[in-house]
Amino acid sequence: MTLTARPEQRRDEHVPGDNDMWVMVLGDMIIFAGYFIVFMIYRSMHAREFLAAQEHLDVNIGVVNTVILLTSSWFVVRAVTAARAGRSAQAIRLVYGGGLGGVLFMALKGYEWVAKIRAGHGNSEMFYSFYYVVTGVHLIHVLIGLIVLGTVVRELRNPGRRRATVVESGAIYWHMVDLLWVIIFALFYVMR
Amino acid sequence: MSRVDDAAGAAGGEGARQSGRRMLRRTPDGVKPDVWLMTLFFPAWYAVFGVIICLLTRVTPPPRPDVTAADKVAFFTQHHLTIQIGFTLLLILLGGAAMTNGLVGYQMKRMSVGSVFAYGYIGGMSVGALPGFLLVTVCFLTAAFRPDRDPALISLLYDLGMLSYNGSLGCFTAAYLVLAVAILYDKNNVFPKWFSYVSIWQIITEVIATQMFVFASGPFSWNGSIAFWLAVVVFSVWLGALIVLLRGAARQEPVTAPALA
Repeated sequence: MTLTARPEQRRDEHVPGDNDMWVMVLGDMIIFAGYFIVFMIYRSMHAREFLAAQEHLDVNIGVVNTVILLTSSWFVVRAVTAARAGRSAQAIRLVYGGGLGGVLFMALKGYEWVAKIRAGHGNSEMFYSFYYVVTGVHLIHVLIGLIVLGTVVRELRNPGRRRATVVESGAIYWHMVDLLWVIIFALFYVMR
Repeated sequence: MSRVDDAAGAAGGEGARQSGRRMLRRTPDGVKPDVWLMTLFFPAWYAVFGVIICLLTRVTPPPRPDVTAADKVAFFTQHHLTIQIGFTLLLILLGGAAMTNGLVGYQMKRMSVGSVFAYGYIGGMSVGALPGFLLVTVCFLTAAFRPDRDPALISLLYDLGMLSYNGSLGCFTAAYLVLAVAILYDKNNVFPKWFSYVSIWQIITEVIATQMFVFASGPFSWNGSIAFWLAVVVFSVWLGALIVLLRGAARQEPVTAPALA
C-alpha cells in the first residue's frame, strides 16, 4: 500500500516549474507591491485629484484587456496539461493562442496610451505619471512574457527536450503577468 | 602541463604566485589566489564607495531636488570639506570600479556563451560609470572648490550632478541585459539562473530613473520612493547576491584550470 502510494504522493507534492522562476515571480511581486503601496499612499494624500484624473480612464478597454489576459492564461494552462500528456503539437498551438492574447493586450494598451496622450493627459498629472510608469513596467513584463512563451515553443518543438518543468516555468511567469494586471486594473480603473 | 605553466606565467610567474599565496594565507584550497584576491577586493571597493557616497559626499541619501538656489549653495557650504575629501578620493579610486567589473567579466568568460558577453558587460558598465560617477564628481568638486561663483551656477552644478548621478541609472541597462542573457544561455552554471532574473529587475527599476528629469518632487524625482529608493533596494539585493555568487564562482574554478585566453 505505502509502496504504491508513495510515488503518487510525490507527484502531488511536486512544485511546478523550477525554483529560479519562483524567485523571479515572488521577488517581482514584492517589487510591484512596492509600486502599489506608494501609489496608495499618494492616492490617499491627493484623493480628489486622483479621482478626477481617474474618470478619464476608459474602463471598457481595461475590462477587455483583463478578459484578453485571463483568456490567454487559460490557453497557457491548457498548454501545460497538453505538454504533460505528451501532446506537443496541441500544446504549441495553445501557447500560440496565449501569445496572441499578449500581442492583443499590448496593441490595446498602446492605443490607450496614444489616446490618453492626445487628450492631454501626460505625466504632469500625478495619477497619470503613476499610470504610465506602472502600466509601462507591466508592458515590459508582457513583452518578456512573449519571449518566455517563445522559449516554451522552442522547447516543445524539439523532440529531444520537451521538459515539463520548462513549460511549467513559462506558464508560472505568464500567470504572474496576468495576476499583476488584475491588481493594476483594480487599483487604477475600478477603485473609487 | 604547458598550459598550466602558461597560467602561472600569466599570473606573474611562480615566485609571485608563491608570495601571493603567502599574502593571502586564507585563500581556500583549490582556488586561484589571484582570482580570490579580486573576489575579496570586490566587496572592499564597494564598501569604500559606500562610505564615499553616503557619509562623505552626501549624494546618497540624495539632497532635496525641490529647493532654492540659496539652499543649494548652503548645501555645498555646509558639506564642502567632506565633498572635497570624498570626491577627490573617488577620482583616485574610480578605476577600482573597472577592476570589479573585470572580475565579473572574468567569470563571464568562463561561461559557455563566448567572451563577447563579458566584453559587452565590461563596456556597458564603463558607459554607465561616466555619467553615473565621474560627471557628478566633477560637478560637485567644482561647486565645492569654487564657492564664490554665482549662486545660479552653483545651483546648476547641483542639479547637473544629481541628475547625472541618479538620472543616468538607465545607462547600466545594456550591461545588466548582457549579463542576464549570458547567465540564461550558460551551460557551465557559473551563476545560478535566478541571478539572471534579479539582473532583469535591475533593468526595469533603473529605467524608471529617467523620470527624474521630469519631476522635481514626488515619487519619481531623484529622491523619490519609486524612481530612487526602490531602485536602491533592488540594487542592494543584486550587489549582495553578486558578492556571494562571485565567491562561489571562484571556488568552482579548479586551481589547475588554464588561464583564460
